[in-house]
Amino acid sequence: MKNQQNKATKFFNKVTSHYKTILAFSLLFMVGVALFIPTMTKDTSYDAFLPKDDPILVFRNQTKETFGLKDPMVIAIVNENGIFNKKSLELVHELSERLKTVPGIDPDQITSLATENNIVGTYDGLAVEPFYEIDDLTDEKAKEVAAAIDDFDLYKGNLVSYDRTTTLIVAEMLDSYDKKQHEVYKSLMALLDEYTARTEQFYLAGEGAVSGYLIKYIDEDAMKTNPFAALVISIILIFAYRRVRGVVLPNIMVLAAVGIALGAMAAFGVDFFVITNGLPVVLIAIAVADGIHILGEYYEIAAKHPAYSQKELVVNTMVQMWRPITITSITTIAGFLAIAASSYMPPMTYFGIFGALGVGVALVYALFMIPSAMMFLKPQMSRAYKPNQEIDWFGKIMERTGKFVLKNPRTIVVVAVLIIGFGINGASKLIINEDRIKNFQSEEPIVLADALINSKTDGTSYLDVLVETPESEDLFAPENLRKIEALQNYAETLPHVKGSTSIVDFIKKMNQSLNENKKEAYSIPDDKDLIAQYFLLYSASGDPTDFDNYVDYDYRLANIRLKMDTSEYLHEKPVVDQTNAYIDAHFNTSTIKATTTGKVTVDAYWINRLGYNHFLGAGLALLVVLIFAAFSFRSVWAGILTIIPVSISVLFIYTVMGLLDIWLAIGTSMFAAIAIGIGVDFAVHTVDRLKYLLNEKALPIKQAYQEFYKSAGRALLFNFLALALGFSVLMTSSVPPLSQFGFLVAVAVSVSFIGSLTLLPALIYLIRPKFLNITK
Amino acid sequence: MKNYLIMGLLAIGLLSPTSSKAQTLPTGKSIADKTYAKDEGISVRRKLTMELKDKRGKIRIRETTSIRKYFGEEKRMAIYYLTPKSVKGTAFLTFDYPDASLDDDQWLYMPALRKTRRISAANRGDYFLGTDLTYEEIKLETRISRDDYTYKTIGTERIDGQQCYVLEGTPINDKIAKELGYSKVKLWVDASIWMLRKADSWDVAGNHLKTTAIKEIKKVQGIWTYHLIAVKNHKTAHETLFRISDIDYQTSLNDDAFTKEALVNGL
Repeated sequence: MKNQQNKATKFFNKVTSHYKTILAFSLLFMVGVALFIPTMTKDTSYDAFLPKDDPILVFRNQTKETFGLKDPMVIAIVNENGIFNKKSLELVHELSERLKTVPGIDPDQITSLATENNIVGTYDGLAVEPFYEIDDLTDEKAKEVAAAIDDFDLYKGNLVSYDRTTTLIVAEMLDSYDKKQHEVYKSLMALLDEYTARTEQFYLAGEGAVSGYLIKYIDEDAMKTNPFAALVISIILIFAYRRVRGVVLPNIMVLAAVGIALGAMAAFGVDFFVITNGLPVVLIAIAVADGIHILGEYYEIAAKHPAYSQKELVVNTMVQMWRPITITSITTIAGFLAIAASSYMPPMTYFGIFGALGVGVALVYALFMIPSAMMFLKPQMSRAYKPNQEIDWFGKIMERTGKFVLKNPRTIVVVAVLIIGFGINGASKLIINEDRIKNFQSEEPIVLADALINSKTDGTSYLDVLVETPESEDLFAPENLRKIEALQNYAETLPHVKGSTSIVDFIKKMNQSLNENKKEAYSIPDDKDLIAQYFLLYSASGDPTDFDNYVDYDYRLANIRLKMDTSEYLHEKPVVDQTNAYIDAHFNTSTIKATTTGKVTVDAYWINRLGYNHFLGAGLALLVVLIFAAFSFRSVWAGILTIIPVSISVLFIYTVMGLLDIWLAIGTSMFAAIAIGIGVDFAVHTVDRLKYLLNEKALPIKQAYQEFYKSAGRALLFNFLALALGFSVLMTSSVPPLSQFGFLVAVAVSVSFIGSLTLLPALIYLIRPKFLNITK
Repeated sequence: MKNYLIMGLLAIGLLSPTSSKAQTLPTGKSIADKTYAKDEGISVRRKLTMELKDKRGKIRIRETTSIRKYFGEEKRMAIYYLTPKSVKGTAFLTFDYPDASLDDDQWLYMPALRKTRRISAANRGDYFLGTDLTYEEIKLETRISRDDYTYKTIGTERIDGQQCYVLEGTPINDKIAKELGYSKVKLWVDASIWMLRKADSWDVAGNHLKTTAIKEIKKVQGIWTYHLIAVKNHKTAHETLFRISDIDYQTSLNDDAFTKEALVNGL
């Protein structure tokens, strides 16, 4: 131990001798890396949650490519008196035309009543023609359009609501606007704003709009939460040391940790995801802790040894503190890396990796930059630490806590056991769920638009089924078409599946049109050649690309699109499972094969992994922390004791989640590993300090406890306040998953802190583990 | 490159249209008239293969036999599908009337239904049987419209080694523009045999829409005849190749071959 202390003294003597170079380099490096931040791109798409080479995602993207499917912007036009009148239909036409000129919108991929064709039977043939031409639109003609839609199942509930008050314009975006959906969203909102004087109301939603809205939303949120977090932390620092340097130095560390972590993300071309928004706040709260402990020690030594030079003060401080802050930083890094290692989803993996990097940076800056920066300053005392060993108000609170623990160790243990019991019960009842629209607060325009469109039409959540046949034109075979039809019929009986579309709907409509519009002719004809000839007939007046979204060019592949009115995992999963079961029973022969894909399938697949990832991440974090603590303190018992408070904190959170009905979702699923990585710091400091007081200084246990509570206990209190309040700042985030994440970590950290300062000393008091060498 | 520059300058009016070269260029109207005067034979029988390719490179091949006959200025055409097997025997008949205000008549015989179905009058700008050419273009073949555009002859250029006049046409009014689906066309007309060799068109929003190349122009039985038309739609990336072979201008085609009833029996 002595040897180690000598080495440390030598090391920090060197650091403080080269303080100018170190400080200059620290600042330059920080600025240099942070300069990459402006090049960062945002990816708020749901696809971002799966690795680009994931087979499910690859398959889905191939299907999208084959059928030209994109994430659309959906505009709903609502007229409470019905949309089938001259004025409203003129508006649909005008908007459809104007959309073509909006940058980012694919002018050929706009679908509305004004762009789609009706298929009608004439006395001796078939006509494919627009539902209406703008030049001869009258109120009378508008009524005919209403009748035509009534006659065309495919468009009912799809383009027009069943109650005829709402019609949709679906506009697809160009691929080149992949991460710029917010620009398109903004243009569309500006366009719709020009029509506020109309009787019709407008709503903008759809997958593309949600992505665009989210980019804007998290930007605004970051602008709010990050400065607020920095402010809260600074106020805590002012209370802790009442000195300028006590506020400035930890803040530089925070800047370094956040700036370098985000700068590195940008430099490596990693996208900024929705949950990345939580990273700066998390790092602010964590990075400041090292600064708090170092400055606490510094002022304590300064109070005890008023004659020390600045260099002596700094070196002595660092020699005392390098061990605990290294251990706590490494345990926190372990928490982040556990997320990275356990998660299959890139946003979480990167959250873990760059969070770990940020904490690592904070540690390096704590060990090098802080002592170097202090060398520029004169020795200073804090009014919070007086030379006559008098302790302040905060110290007194901690002192009383110590007395309470020594009096009631058994009660504390009983309470802990109760929490464990409730927690295990809560964990077993956790609800794994996710809904992208829940990324927004319930009164946001996008949420209202989404709810309206989902209630009025078949919905905006798509489950696609790719049908494959071996040979060209096999899809003309009536037996294959009947299978598709049967699958559609079955799927539409499933909850939340409101409608479906496939090439079959067009074939049935053509057959009906060519058979005097007889109701019973809305069916699949028996003759394969006849179906082929229908398509040829259609091509005589329709557009060559009309069926691109439903069938591939050689009639071998077809897409069935099932429409759901919810994007909630708990509703999507059973539909995917039941559709798959149906496919297993009725498809997948040598002549026809079907595979579920589309957004709903992708969701069901990856959200399903959330629960597993969560428990794996938490378990991994605990294990790493246990091994590391046991190794650092050279005692398995020390390791076990160290992880007890964090384990209880996580179990406590499960109870809270159950009581408050909080889902285990993307944001919240990360809480456990982070809470373990951060929360264990308190226990590490407690065990480290008690070991020092009991083992090295060989103080009697009661005296050791008294010492511990008033000095280390006080620093831990500020460390705790910084973390708890920092994470609480996330609760002010307008992104509900982040605010829930902040809330859960803040509560977990509080429980860890209380546990580390009550349960842990109580257990040590009762068990008297060997590694502490307690004699009296 | 130099040519493009000159054309570009001409197009934006930087070079005076009254320069000596421009004065010698024939007007669009006279060029259009010449394309109409070109001998196309009274009737023709030919093999027409339509090769359609979508943007993913998937190809549909439709082999047909086609007959065409002029009845004065009225043009009648019948197309009999040979492949794919599923549409074999399907036959398409169209009467193109010279008067643009008259809707053309079209029928399709569907052997699986054993019935001939009338197809609603197509707009002139509608796509012809799933190809990238419009009904209007099928009707004109290598002619250029006399009535729909205001032309400006902007120079000469060689296409496939032949001297061509380059014309820019804008539809005479918005209604025509909408009907045709174009806001502008650029045409290359052979200066000696008066056949269209190349055409570019822009949609009503001003986007570059299509490029059409008429190729392999050779004399058949004394009549200049194209053997290949390649059309590329730049917006949808869809392409069509029309291959013409076994051309015969001399078979006598009975007028009765161009009736609804004749479609049923095939050729």
